[in-house]
Amino acid sequence: MPGTLLMDSSLLANAQTVVARARTGDPEALASLYRAFEVPVYNLARRICRTAEDAEDVLQETFFEVCRSIGRYREEGSLWGWVRTIAASKALMRIRRNKYRDTDELHDEFVGQRQEDTHLRMDLEAALERLSETSRAVVWLHDVEGYTHEEIASMMGKTPSFSKSQLARAHARLRVWLGEEGTL
Amino acid sequence: MTHLSMEALLGLREPGLEPGAATAREHLNQCPLCQAELDRLHQRVARLKALPPLRPGRDRWPETAARYKAERRRRRSRMAVLTGLATAASLAVVVGIGRMTQPASPTGEELHQTMERSQALENALSAYNPEGRVLDGRTARMAQELEDRIARVDRELEATELLPQEPPQDQLLQLWRERVGLLDALVDVHVTRASNAGL
Repeated sequence: MPGTLLMDSSLLANAQTVVARARTGDPEALASLYRAFEVPVYNLARRICRTAEDAEDVLQETFFEVCRSIGRYREEGSLWGWVRTIAASKALMRIRRNKYRDTDELHDEFVGQRQEDTHLRMDLEAALERLSETSRAVVWLHDVEGYTHEEIASMMGKTPSFSKSQLARAHARLRVWLGEEGTL
Repeated sequence: MTHLSMEALLGLREPGLEPGAATAREHLNQCPLCQAELDRLHQRVARLKALPPLRPGRDRWPETAARYKAERRRRRSRMAVLTGLATAASLAVVVGIGRMTQPASPTGEELHQTMERSQALENALSAYNPEGRVLDGRTARMAQELEDRIARVDRELEATELLPQEPPQDQLLQLWRERVGLLDALVDVHVTRASNAGL
């Protein structure tokens, strides 16, 4: 899991103590939680949201919620799993708010250009960036973070079929943009 | 020959048995083109997982901490006002009884007025809604410092509530005065910043 690799190992070693202190509102413990998960939360948000500003807002919203709700964390799953679900919900909330920008027109226009300029091959970062926010969110949550279609559907307020078709559409586009077309 | 669609290829990667998976797998076993496509899909996902982490351009903790502290303070303040009103009511009884026997002390009345002033400043801050606004780094640091000091006074006020006997009125008045002074400064920080920025 990419988030785990980015976490501060000192927090992982003292997670129970830090969480116990954070529950009392201890500012140092809350700051430790922020420092431990700042990068994976921002990375998840930035991979989903269109702009760095949106991702930074999601980062702030996520940790505000973590501070408020740490008392409700029951230690049944991993701490990162709990923080990540908050971050994913906040990021999806943000793209719902920005939905007016989330059209496929830009991407279809781009495919048109690609067909004319077939020697151009995009790198993965640029291709991912070109996907609509919804498609990118599904790709990232499913393929990288490991959420199931049912979990993604529940977070997005959609059906698992919606999540599956978004993923298939996104991969079909990535395949073309990355110049990976086979003979199919 | 009809090859597997992207949806069917993705279905083969799911842990459970997707509808049509058995037929798809049968086709896959006989079709080198679809096998190559599935390999490319696996590689693409592996490359996505290997993308380097993106890092925030600036530290958002000061704003987050200030916002959280402000919320905690408001929660504490609501509690303190409720407890304070109860204390003021009991003081009024004590002062009332005292007036029958000796000259009245102004402390009880002043304490009540100071608490009311504190609540008025809380209301002003609440109306300004600092949490809904973006702070620049300097303002966020100043606000955070004041929030920390208010939180410290609140902790002392909470501690007096846990004492077995009524705390001395002078001590309570001193704490509430300090709280009002800090809140005044906090309102000033936010409002001055807002007027400087033309907000």
